[in-house]
Amino acid sequence: MKFLRVRLLSFILDLCLWAYLLYGGFTLHYLNTRWRPWRPEEKFVAPELSPLGWALVVLGILEVVLFTRAFGPSLGQRIFGVRLVGEGGGKPSFSQRWLYFFASHLALFLLWFDPERPFYERVSRLRLAPLPEPGTEGPGPRWYFTTHGLSAFLFLGLTLALGWRLTEIDLRSFVGKASKSLRIWRGLINPDFRYLFVPDPRIKLSFIDGLVQSLYMALLATIAGTAVAFPLSFLGARNIAARGPIGWLVYSLTRGFFNVFRAVESTYWAAIFAIWVGFGPFAGSMALFIHTIAALGKLFSEQVEHIDPGPVEAVTATGANLLQVVRYAVVPQVIPQFLAFTIYRWDINLRMATVVALVGGGGIGRLIFEYKDDLQWQLVGGVIILFMITVWIMDYVSGWVRERIV
Amino acid sequence: MPHLVVENLTKVYERGKIRALFNVSFSVEKGEFLVLIGLSGSGKSTLLRCINRLVEPTSGRIFLNGVELTKLSPRAMRKVRRKIGMVFQQFNLVKRATVLQNVLAGRLGYNSTLSTLLGRFPKEDLRRAQECLERVGLLDKMYVRADQLSGGQQQRVGIARALMQEPELLLADEPVSALDPATSHSVMQYIEQINKDGVTVIASLHFLSLARRYGQRIIALKAGEIVFDGLPEAIDDRKFKEIYGEEAEEVEVR
Repeated sequence: MKFLRVRLLSFILDLCLWAYLLYGGFTLHYLNTRWRPWRPEEKFVAPELSPLGWALVVLGILEVVLFTRAFGPSLGQRIFGVRLVGEGGGKPSFSQRWLYFFASHLALFLLWFDPERPFYERVSRLRLAPLPEPGTEGPGPRWYFTTHGLSAFLFLGLTLALGWRLTEIDLRSFVGKASKSLRIWRGLINPDFRYLFVPDPRIKLSFIDGLVQSLYMALLATIAGTAVAFPLSFLGARNIAARGPIGWLVYSLTRGFFNVFRAVESTYWAAIFAIWVGFGPFAGSMALFIHTIAALGKLFSEQVEHIDPGPVEAVTATGANLLQVVRYAVVPQVIPQFLAFTIYRWDINLRMATVVALVGGGGIGRLIFEYKDDLQWQLVGGVIILFMITVWIMDYVSGWVRERIV
Repeated sequence: MPHLVVENLTKVYERGKIRALFNVSFSVEKGEFLVLIGLSGSGKSTLLRCINRLVEPTSGRIFLNGVELTKLSPRAMRKVRRKIGMVFQQFNLVKRATVLQNVLAGRLGYNSTLSTLLGRFPKEDLRRAQECLERVGLLDKMYVRADQLSGGQQQRVGIARALMQEPELLLADEPVSALDPATSHSVMQYIEQINKDGVTVIASLHFLSLARRYGQRIIALKAGEIVFDGLPEAIDDRKFKEIYGEEAEEVEVR
């Protein structure tokens, strides 16, 4: 059963790899020859092929997969830790590999008679065996002489090339249009602190006001988020919550909540809350708060899952109930890590507090985006420098505190 | 009526289908000092944990004072556990907590959830904690963090925690395996003292010499089955090889 699974999964992996390599290679060729930036609507058009053409493509992919598997180890075989060996465990001969290649074409029809030892392995007198322990068979061939090494290289190479194309990397404008950004840099090194303490009459906010607002947005979100994440984290820890079917349900729901709400970035939350409760710092701190619950909850839960189970067992044995076990055997073990994570999260929240302003989150970030829109780069520079100094001090302090705790 | 009766106890671990215990039956009288011996993996730990249901038995029945533990609801089982003390090979103390906090944990089952969550214990329990610590000679370490203590001292804190429960049965899962020989005897003597005060003791031990010195009766397990049940003197050379395998040699712990 195990080897059937390995065969099937490694085959699927190889199939995905070569489908990607061939289709991706074709797309790359298409982008390089046909696509022009001034006709962007053609960018991701799927190639049009007749059914016969598609059948040929699929057949081609299958052939390459079978070939690499016979003259392997293919990447799929390598990842699942198996390779072909002869009957006695020796290296397969050339003709055996060809036999294996041709016989494996019939696999789809005949594999199922004896999944433990498919007929094409019997015909070629080869079998799949686990890879040897590293170092037991000498240095082995260099990676560019192996099928799996070359496949991986092609995979990386194609991904880079496609990525270059799809992200529309344009070195010419990177170098040639650099002078356009010059006034921004000039503004940043000639910062204007006119509104450091005096509120800007138009925005009605001084730099310091904005900074303090952002600091408190981050603080509030961190403290409130931790307070909610703390109890939830025990429900999301397998070793505490997942006892019995109801426990499993609670555990899965909590973990699902963490994962879903963490996947949505704070910025999107801010956009939602800006519409919900209106633009301003409240929307921003709500966004940070929600994201903090999910992110810290997941980190906390994982920490709870890594505790020493001994004290849990011992306290359970005294007749304590689950809440008491958590309080007396789990909490003391995780408190230092929880504190460290919270401080780390405060760092992140402080930085995020500026970004959420982009969608109406309030705080010092609002100044940055307002001035940027007005092209007042010297004021932008002033705000950024003030903020950088603050973040640098906070980073330093929180790092120092974290070291003391753990 | 015997204090503890185990009937046809079988435990199969679902994962890997390992049969840890098979059809184990025995009974223990009140105040007995029973020693379990056997190789690692012979099922000693599983047997002890089945008695207070830290491990759920697959089949079989266990009676304590005539009450069938294997039928009890979780809540009722927690009530029974208060009277069953347990001492562990790795001590299982909360390392970052003080000795006092670890010892007080022994009273959790007797106090209300709410007050213990707030960290409150009755004065009576604090006094009892001092008494128990004095009994194991660690009164001066009361406010020390548990991880500051030596192995022998930590195990004595573990014993004090079990004493806090005012147990009538003490389960000791290889209480001295992590300790050096001299400390082993000191810890075993504390357990022996508890037994002399009328507490039934079931201890699993690695060394036969320790089992002979402290046990009133020995049960030997091999691959989850009882291969010997009797007085320590009855284990001769042949029996010893049967329990521990042909290559084994008896090692003395002095």
